[in-house]
Amino acid sequence: MIKITNLEKYYRTEEVETVALNKLSFEVKEGEFVAVMGPSGCGKSTLLNIVGLLDDPDGGSFLFNGIEVAGFNERKRADLRKHNIGFVFQSFNLIDELTVFENVELPLIYTGVKAADRKVRVEEVLDKMQIMHRRNHYPQQLSGGQQQRVAVARAVVNNPKLILADEPTGNLDSSNGNEVMQLLTDLNEQGTTIIMVTHSEHDAKYSHRIIRMLDGQTVTENILV
Amino acid sequence: MLRNYFKIAFRNLWRNKLYSFINIAGLAMGIAAFILILQYVSFEKSVNGFHRNIATTYRLLNENPKGETWPQVEPGWAQKAKERFPEIKAYCRFEEGVGQGIVRRTTENAEPFRETNVGYAEGNFFEFFSFNLLEGNAAAFKKPNVVFLSKAAVKKYFGKDEPIGQSLILYNQFGKATYTVNGVYEIPVNSDIRYDMVFSLETLSNPANLNDNDWAQLDNLSSQYINTYFQINETADYKKLEQKLNTLRNELKKDKDGLVFRLQPFANVHLPASFSDNYQTTGNLKYVYILSIIAILILVIAWFNYINLSTANALKRANEVGVRKVVGASRGSLVLQFLGESVLVNMISFGLALLIVQLLQPLFNTIIEKELAFTSLLSTPAWVAGLGLLIVGSLLSGAYTAYSLSGFNPVETLKGKLVKTNKAVVLRKSLVVFQFSISIGLLLVTAFIYRQLNYMQHKSLGVNTDQLLVIRGPQVDKDSTYKQRRTAFINALAQQSFVKDYSLSGSVPGNGYNFATSGFSQPGSRKGDELKSFSFALIDDRYLNTYEIGLKAGRTFTQPETMVEWNDNDKVLMNEKAIEELGFKSAEEALNTKVQWDERKLQVIGVVKNYHHVGLQKAIDPIIFYPQSNSAYFTVRLQTDRIKDNVAQMETLFKSYFRNNPFEYFFADENFNKQYISEQQYSKLFTTASVWAIVIACLGLFALATYTVEARTKEIGVRKVLGANVFTIARLLSKDFLQLVFIAFVIAVPVVWYTMYRWLENFAYKVQLSWWVFAAAGIVAIGIALLTISFQAMKAAFANPVKSLRTE
Repeated sequence: MIKITNLEKYYRTEEVETVALNKLSFEVKEGEFVAVMGPSGCGKSTLLNIVGLLDDPDGGSFLFNGIEVAGFNERKRADLRKHNIGFVFQSFNLIDELTVFENVELPLIYTGVKAADRKVRVEEVLDKMQIMHRRNHYPQQLSGGQQQRVAVARAVVNNPKLILADEPTGNLDSSNGNEVMQLLTDLNEQGTTIIMVTHSEHDAKYSHRIIRMLDGQTVTENILV
Repeated sequence: MLRNYFKIAFRNLWRNKLYSFINIAGLAMGIAAFILILQYVSFEKSVNGFHRNIATTYRLLNENPKGETWPQVEPGWAQKAKERFPEIKAYCRFEEGVGQGIVRRTTENAEPFRETNVGYAEGNFFEFFSFNLLEGNAAAFKKPNVVFLSKAAVKKYFGKDEPIGQSLILYNQFGKATYTVNGVYEIPVNSDIRYDMVFSLETLSNPANLNDNDWAQLDNLSSQYINTYFQINETADYKKLEQKLNTLRNELKKDKDGLVFRLQPFANVHLPASFSDNYQTTGNLKYVYILSIIAILILVIAWFNYINLSTANALKRANEVGVRKVVGASRGSLVLQFLGESVLVNMISFGLALLIVQLLQPLFNTIIEKELAFTSLLSTPAWVAGLGLLIVGSLLSGAYTAYSLSGFNPVETLKGKLVKTNKAVVLRKSLVVFQFSISIGLLLVTAFIYRQLNYMQHKSLGVNTDQLLVIRGPQVDKDSTYKQRRTAFINALAQQSFVKDYSLSGSVPGNGYNFATSGFSQPGSRKGDELKSFSFALIDDRYLNTYEIGLKAGRTFTQPETMVEWNDNDKVLMNEKAIEELGFKSAEEALNTKVQWDERKLQVIGVVKNYHHVGLQKAIDPIIFYPQSNSAYFTVRLQTDRIKDNVAQMETLFKSYFRNNPFEYFFADENFNKQYISEQQYSKLFTTASVWAIVIACLGLFALATYTVEARTKEIGVRKVLGANVFTIARLLSKDFLQLVFIAFVIAVPVVWYTMYRWLENFAYKVQLSWWVFAAAGIVAIGIALLTISFQAMKAAFANPVKSLRTE
């Protein structure tokens, strides 16, 4: 599903050039659950942003479902993203002014789904995430675990092929964290590919494979399953 | 999707109440000022537009070699031109001023009123112009001794009685004449021609009705006193007609006076087509432009608030933008969303603005001295342009915000980085500078207008106008007993204990001169001196004393000298300026030399110290004082603190000698200051505009300060932990803003200096553009800004650092 070859990314300020990704190569197959680990500043998040089509690389090749997307402009990336990729963040990133229902509905609005269909699909996914009873609440009225469930609901409502999770349990206590990890595992079992950046060895154990990074390169790969 | 945008827009407004309030209040204030001014502009543009034939109607003007024009022409031209030039379909003449006098009903003991807003007009007046006749028909005006009344005049003279067929007596320079009321008309507020009552010009075609005023004969080509309007064929070229009229003028006018005719389109009589059009107008294009510019500037200040606050608020919105992008929003859809928010804010503000307009209408009407209502706005297409400007402005101000917010990189915003891009900061600062340049500019302009006005009102005039009461002389019943009655009245007045001094004169300071003329010379004059114009004031022997005007040399008139017939008199007084104009080196030289006035020789018996007879806009004129017991004005210097009682006493006296005349009086100082009405109007306008602009700009500054403090909460916490005290923190936060206000001040100063320098050129006597006024305005502006910011700065400075660090 994802094939990355010699991917490069630099960050430049006036005086310093930092290498975030240094000729990085790896591959993720459809249906896989991959965890990416490494110390702070090793390039994990940069990698996730590029894979998520939020950022573009400075060099190398990135095939998404066999299509070269490294040179895509913002509009093309946005289009590809909204149909194929769901995101889960450490800090949830829900919109405070929208209710639970409206937050989850958002991706469907941008993909042009009709209102009646949206209602069915949002309710279905809220039900699945066991957050239906909170549908009219605002994010600040929910606990962290509940917020992350809403975020997961929003990530999956469009039935994306790929979910990118950036330290999804980083802001949660262990029991809420476990719940979220279980949700992701369930989604993976239903066929969704998952790439997760994490610092937690515990969370990484839910994945099939762990990629460890250092200084913008992969150093080892542990296959767990 | 739209619903989603509006939903989030509403919730955002609600959540950030302070921000929303400032944004909406500022915009509403800006839009309200704009609507009020648009009303005025719209009204001014609509003036005279109701006349059905306006497009083919032209006013005849005289123009002198200096390019000055005036609409009073000789009455004989209209008929001659009509006979000669077939493209003239009709003409209509009317005069303004010549016919004024006293009017009363014919009934016994009817109250007389002085009418200044009346005149004689052509028989076709009500056919030529499109006034609404409420009673009578237009043709009924063609007869002599007919009067048509406005609704107000009907009420004043007849109350609820039926006016048609009734009679009114008019006493004026043409003597006493009775007129029959044949019609009642209504004049729209946006008409330049505004008679309270109009008498048929046909009356004056009978020489018996002229009371020896031969100059007023309707076929004469020598006295300029009447307005002449032509209606011409639609296909005719008025410029060609203008040439033909001048050919006719040269052919028939024997004494060459250097004047030429101009035809002015009726549509340009109120407001000229452009500033290069120098013909005399009844409206003031400059005022319309100044108001329009102020309206747009205030609106721009409000929009800049919007842009500033929205981009400052970006910190809070950045995350939302990031999330929306991640879940699939394109930049286009985000731009639409933010534009929608801007439109929503503008719409709410617009609604609020309409309310403010209702509240402020009376105040605004006082400033512009017009009776405008919201409906005035709809009278011309100006409102379409105004609405267009509002929509474009709200979209543009929204567009910038939309463009910058939608451009955020989600990778960065979701991590809480960014937002403080240099470009945005520079823009925000520039907008604040612009807002304060305008505000400080308006403040400075206000200060200088106020100072000039104050200067004119308080500068020593060389004449003491305090405690001087002026009574208008009688006009009715000036029969053979009149002189006797006048003397008796004066004597009775003189005996009143509250009368310190009194005088009779033909003109008084503040009301112009009796006339101006040329043709003076003395043996030492240079060639061309006889063309210089001198103003004439007719005064009695007590005038200089009563007005406390000083004599430089010689003496004033004696009482017998004021009784000498006009043509037999050979003694005059002159002011210093007149002596100088005539080329005398000293007052003594003038006293020892005879002055030639055409065929007559005049002895200067006294030189009067220069004083201001007219407003300080004009330099002191050369004045010749001619002796006459003219009874246009009785001036009384009072020594009393019971003015009301004393005025009543004088009225009783006046009425006992001049029974059918109205008793009318004014105070000399108030009357003199009436010459500054235009400056007072500017002063009020600029005061209001500058307060308005400053309030809006400060609203914005307050909100910006709030955001800055929020954005720097952590920094402030760290600084406090490291030992910064309250004062250093407050200074740190205020410094940046004060710098901006100072830059704004530096920008405003030269612009204001130049503008006021040009404005002050209109005044012969003026204030200096003192540096300290600039400095004071700068200090005031910085003070206001400091006050605005200090609330937030102090709050931040006093905040507990533990708390502020935890919020991050």
